[in-house]
Amino acid sequence: MRLKFNVFLLSCLLFISAKAQTVERPVLSAYAIELGSAHVAETYLSPLHYSGTTLALSYERMQAMRFDPERWVMRLDGRLQGSLTHNNPTRNASMWNIDLRLGWGMMRRFRFDGGWNVFAGGSTTAEAGVFYLPKNSNNPAAAKASWTVNASAGAAFNTRIGRMPVCFRYLAEIPLAGIFFSPQYGELYYEIYLGNRKGLVHGAWPGNYFRFNNLLTADLRLGRTIVRLGYRCNIKSVQASDIVTRHIEHTAVIGIASEWLSLSADRKAPLEKAKIISALY
Amino acid sequence: MNTLNKKICAITVGAIAFLCGACHSIESWENDTLGNFDALWTILDEHYCFFEEKDIDWEETGRRYRAKVNKGMDEKELFEVCAAMLDELKDGHTNLISWFNVSYYRKWWSDYPQNFDWRLIQEHYLNFDYTSGNGMSYKTLADGQVGYVYFSSFAYGISHSFVNEMLLSMKDCKGLILDIRDNGGGNLTSADDLLSHFINEKYLGGYISHKTGPGHSDFSEPYPYYVEPVYGVRWLKPVIVLTNRSTFSAANNFTAMAKGLEHVRIAGAHTGGGSGAPMSSEIPCGWSVRFSASPIYDADMKLTETGIAPSDGFAVEMDKEATLSGHDTILDFAIKTISNIQESKPEKIIRAAE
Repeated sequence: MRLKFNVFLLSCLLFISAKAQTVERPVLSAYAIELGSAHVAETYLSPLHYSGTTLALSYERMQAMRFDPERWVMRLDGRLQGSLTHNNPTRNASMWNIDLRLGWGMMRRFRFDGGWNVFAGGSTTAEAGVFYLPKNSNNPAAAKASWTVNASAGAAFNTRIGRMPVCFRYLAEIPLAGIFFSPQYGELYYEIYLGNRKGLVHGAWPGNYFRFNNLLTADLRLGRTIVRLGYRCNIKSVQASDIVTRHIEHTAVIGIASEWLSLSADRKAPLEKAKIISALY
Repeated sequence: MNTLNKKICAITVGAIAFLCGACHSIESWENDTLGNFDALWTILDEHYCFFEEKDIDWEETGRRYRAKVNKGMDEKELFEVCAAMLDELKDGHTNLISWFNVSYYRKWWSDYPQNFDWRLIQEHYLNFDYTSGNGMSYKTLADGQVGYVYFSSFAYGISHSFVNEMLLSMKDCKGLILDIRDNGGGNLTSADDLLSHFINEKYLGGYISHKTGPGHSDFSEPYPYYVEPVYGVRWLKPVIVLTNRSTFSAANNFTAMAKGLEHVRIAGAHTGGGSGAPMSSEIPCGWSVRFSASPIYDADMKLTETGIAPSDGFAVEMDKEATLSGHDTILDFAIKTISNIQESKPEKIIRAAE
């Protein structure tokens, strides 16, 4: 009986030690620049629709999770976006928009034959920005801020074009709940400045805060460098206090990505024997 | 079609319907004469804040002016009709702004005597020799007994260091004349900042409200706002604020706040009003429209949209004949009133710690 127990204990220790020593989780980092079109309406400033150009810088970091690297991946993303749009149809006014977004999430990975990975999970996003319409003398700006909890899902397909490994990926995200800032219908920022903070924070749900972010990318592995090409379509429509904000953007994405490993100086197991679990590839 | 395909089709159709319905609707109008007229009427209908106080039947007004709009009229003709409709609001804060013209309702001052001549004051009271900066011009009058300050516009930010220096230079005066005639307003924060030099404790400036929805009665509960005394020079000696019909908007708001102070009197003529903080919007042809959106009340919860009367016994008109001999009878009245003050203690000027 004692012998059996010792064998079991030894097996467990070997299993844990083998597992701890042999799994490496490279970090996928991608930096991209995005350029495309923006379609904007912000009824606090104007009932007219504006359209124009948008430019964004984005960062994405993905890594298999430590607690279950085969099945769970994390994703951190940041995006700074600015747009310059003009009113339709006369185009005699310009509206500027700047928006900063930071998000973090976890997704369960399902592996399928033929290089397919399907992801489903959740994320949380903080976003802040401003619309600025200099044409308006007394209410030229509308500030935006939100924090949401989102459902996210996606799929990745790893294949080769000729001898070049390529990963096609689609990722979608929809907020399910959260909070966001909006002044009341005719409330001036001057009144907020005076101290009236009533009714500025609204609960978000898909009925009043709809956002549908779509990202389609192709990661082309050129040696150690990964070139990312893609397309992003973000749709946002928010309604609070009879104020509607709509922001739709279509952008082409081009960027550079890389996978890197952080190795500690006192590691004992050789890297050649480690099992490397990539978040995406 | 097998069951799986049917499910995929149903999910696809459902997803498309979900996405199509997801964006919230935004009212839109055609960019033609009627579309632009309707857009203008609707923006005012949903955002203008004084329909009830002014007893305006906006539906009837819209019907009356819409009948004057036809598809064949050019943009200048349309502008005339729209501007005439906005004039019905009798509001100096309401303008239609096109590339060729800006509409103004001017009767709030044009139907009244001007009661002010800056050239006359410079020539006969200041001898073209005065200190100026940040929209303010000042000098001591009546052998140093009276401080005189003319402030032309609240569009200037208040420089507290400038005002500190100005008030200290008048510390030996019996009182101060603050002339805000022809001051058409500017920044509400400048009115608060200037008032902060004339109070010694937290002071209820008034109340502000805003529309909470498109209905004519959709207003928030009035919010009290307070002005804190400045960390600088506080003038608590007598003050006479001179006003006329062109004292408007932020200057009107300053007058409303100052009138409640024990050591301040309002002299001259009724102010022009303009107590609705304005907002802007635009219509499909690209014209902008500005309108009163948030009513501001005085500390007694009275609306000052139609102006503020001088303090009891301080209503004075400018005598046109006297102007020919270089006299501003409103300013003369204020100088005489302050000069006749028997005692004005030096400690009424407080220099609070910076």
